[in-house]
Amino acid sequence: MKVFNMSSAKGKKVNIYLIIGAVMTGIIVVMAIVGIFWTPYSTTAMSAKERFAAPSWQHLFGTDNFGRDIFSRVMKAVGTSALISVLVVAISAVAGIVLGAITGYFGGVVDAVVMRIVDAINGFPSILLALVIISLLGKGRQNVVLALAIAFTPSFVRIVRGEFIRLRDADYVVRARLMGVAKPRILFVHILPNIFSTFWVSVTIGLNNAILAESGLSYLGIGVQAPDATLGSLLSDAQASLASSPWYALAPGLTIVWTVLGVAMLSEGIGKLKK
Amino acid sequence: MISIDNLTISFSGKKAVDGISLQIEPGEILGLVGESGSGKSVTALTLMGLLASEGVMETGTIDFNGTCLLKAGVKPDQKLLRSFRGDQMSMIFQEPMTSLNPTMKVGPQIDEQLLLHAKDDFKSAEERKKRVLETLEGVGLRDVEKVYDSYPHQLSGGMRQRAMIAMAVILHPALIIADEPTTALDVTIQNQIVKLLKEIRDREQNSMIFITHDLNLARRICTKLAVMKDGKIVELGSTEEIFTNPQTDYAKKLIAAVPGRKNSKSAVHREIERIEPILTVKDLNVFYKERSKKLFGKTEHKCVVKNADFEIYPGETLGLVGESGCGKTSLCKAILGINNDITGNVKISTVRPQMVFQDPYSSLNPSKSIGWLLEEPLRAEDILEKSIKYTKETRKEMAIDMLRRVGLDEYYYDRMPHQLSGGQRQRVSIGQALITKPSLILADEPVSALDVTIQDQVLELLESLQEEYGLAYLFISHDINVIYRVSDRIMVMKKGEILEIGDRDQLFDNPKHPYTKELLAES
Repeated sequence: MKVFNMSSAKGKKVNIYLIIGAVMTGIIVVMAIVGIFWTPYSTTAMSAKERFAAPSWQHLFGTDNFGRDIFSRVMKAVGTSALISVLVVAISAVAGIVLGAITGYFGGVVDAVVMRIVDAINGFPSILLALVIISLLGKGRQNVVLALAIAFTPSFVRIVRGEFIRLRDADYVVRARLMGVAKPRILFVHILPNIFSTFWVSVTIGLNNAILAESGLSYLGIGVQAPDATLGSLLSDAQASLASSPWYALAPGLTIVWTVLGVAMLSEGIGKLKK
Repeated sequence: MISIDNLTISFSGKKAVDGISLQIEPGEILGLVGESGSGKSVTALTLMGLLASEGVMETGTIDFNGTCLLKAGVKPDQKLLRSFRGDQMSMIFQEPMTSLNPTMKVGPQIDEQLLLHAKDDFKSAEERKKRVLETLEGVGLRDVEKVYDSYPHQLSGGMRQRAMIAMAVILHPALIIADEPTTALDVTIQNQIVKLLKEIRDREQNSMIFITHDLNLARRICTKLAVMKDGKIVELGSTEEIFTNPQTDYAKKLIAAVPGRKNSKSAVHREIERIEPILTVKDLNVFYKERSKKLFGKTEHKCVVKNADFEIYPGETLGLVGESGCGKTSLCKAILGINNDITGNVKISTVRPQMVFQDPYSSLNPSKSIGWLLEEPLRAEDILEKSIKYTKETRKEMAIDMLRRVGLDEYYYDRMPHQLSGGQRQRVSIGQALITKPSLILADEPVSALDVTIQDQVLELLESLQEEYGLAYLFISHDINVIYRVSDRIMVMKKGEILEIGDRDQLFDNPKHPYTKELLAES
């Protein structure tokens, strides 16, 4: 009965999620990009006179225990954090698509084996798993990315696999088979574009989780090593002076919250756009 | 008894029902017929006071035996409506699976009507149960005690619809609204339900509003017809009058489009030279793997098509008719080689035969443009044969040429499937099947999801393409009237077995198998 689904066409609704999300994410992206080329102060310039200075017009977010400008350090850290999370999601999303497509479409033994491995990985909390991998591979930026990518892959595999199972017997896929379309082409040309709306949501959620997971690792001291900084490592450094100079911890902390919220709003907004 | 006067209903400014007036007398069965979106269901739902909240009643009144039920501009009296619903008027929906509550047993569900509207008439629960059982018997159910204690999923579709009808008639309402009550059911069950509704009407002299898109069905059951189009009633009169002498152009078009023996479009009898079959099926058994429900149980092979044995010759249409689940689609898949779990022989003497599916909404990839979809079979052929027969330009040319042949034009080349109507999509579907020039097409209910006039157009297209290319069709349908129109020969299937196969007119004039007779009873 179509009657009940008629949309209320009271003019186009303003997609508030999309606007706010885009603005919030945009600020972070601009900060990260500018941070690559220019920061107000050098991130390594120390100043004994200005140790633990409170936020002021000279130092927007104040200075740290070495008298370094926290705003400049956050700008750099955002870039590193974002790069890591994008890489993590990119790697695990591609792995998820390939594994999910194959297991979902073909089923059978391959499916059973791959999915049990995926289950096994899923059985560990992702941070714990990353810890184990890093302790095996050693610290360093690449290893953080690799460890988190392995930990993040299972959720993508599950989502892609579910969608492929749903679509593998759709009429248009059966027709493609009848035309004699080769299997890889069916998987990646015929089916894949149809799962993107679902996949997109998990990608944005994945981005957020990756930022948080990386921060967690850095906080535990096994993430990116000094003098490189990420939001998590800044937070970790700030811990010692939490009572005396709370702005040190607040700056990276709020930036994490801001980023995660912005990306979440953006994905919500894009999701609404599709409907 | 019931009078609807100048009713207009709009959804966000768009008129769904536009100034209709209707009177229904006791004992009358009024058929509301028309194509999807013509406002049939909205009218019925409004009458029940079930109009969706987005709907606005702009003008009009609805009177029921002198009581004003609804009036435009006046807030509906929900209490009054509730007292009428179930008691005075009731509704039968299309889908018996979703309109019964799956978590409640059938008996208590029907009993609820009595509890709500006539609690005081019964002294005890036993008495009410007795009444429910009587009603269940009255709608032709056997073993009513068992039905009473069954959950909806334990009953067949026909039984569920009977239970639904029992629920609708238990309080002897003056008006029963049936919204496509048989559309989800198999043909033979459909016949039984129609008979049952007529019996109830004869017994209780209540009036009925029968909503349907199936004009053959409307003709069999209704005494009066209202033909609706775009929210308006274009023609109103007795059923026979409208069928024999339609006044308006639209009604004429609609009735001319109804397939069946009486339709002039199906009168052509062609001579077909049957020398070399294009498809030979010999002793074909098709199996279906069924996982055992036990943890370590073996998967069972279920035979869904037994000893199929037939052939199709170039240029002819073989109609395949049977109920849902009789193995029609399994047979198709076996012929096309999608299901390899078969024994027996399938011999095809043409390039890859193609298939046209029932649902035009799921058979086109929603993320591709129409042009891409039409070209894909050509690309696939090239890749498959490792040749470069088609360049980008020839592909595009062929796609546009095909668009024209199926009655669309170049404009559609860049459109996406969701921008097209159901009929247009089915045309694209047919084009996609034809572009590699196979001489055999398997059409699985290709017009079942379409409105009757669109159905007519698509059938015409299939016929003209058949003539042009000398195509052979295996045409599957549950609708015997459509089958009659397109087929040269007809094959009747039930529970995986081919009961009868023969020349169309011979089969219609002289059906041998009792099941065939039952099927033909409604043509």
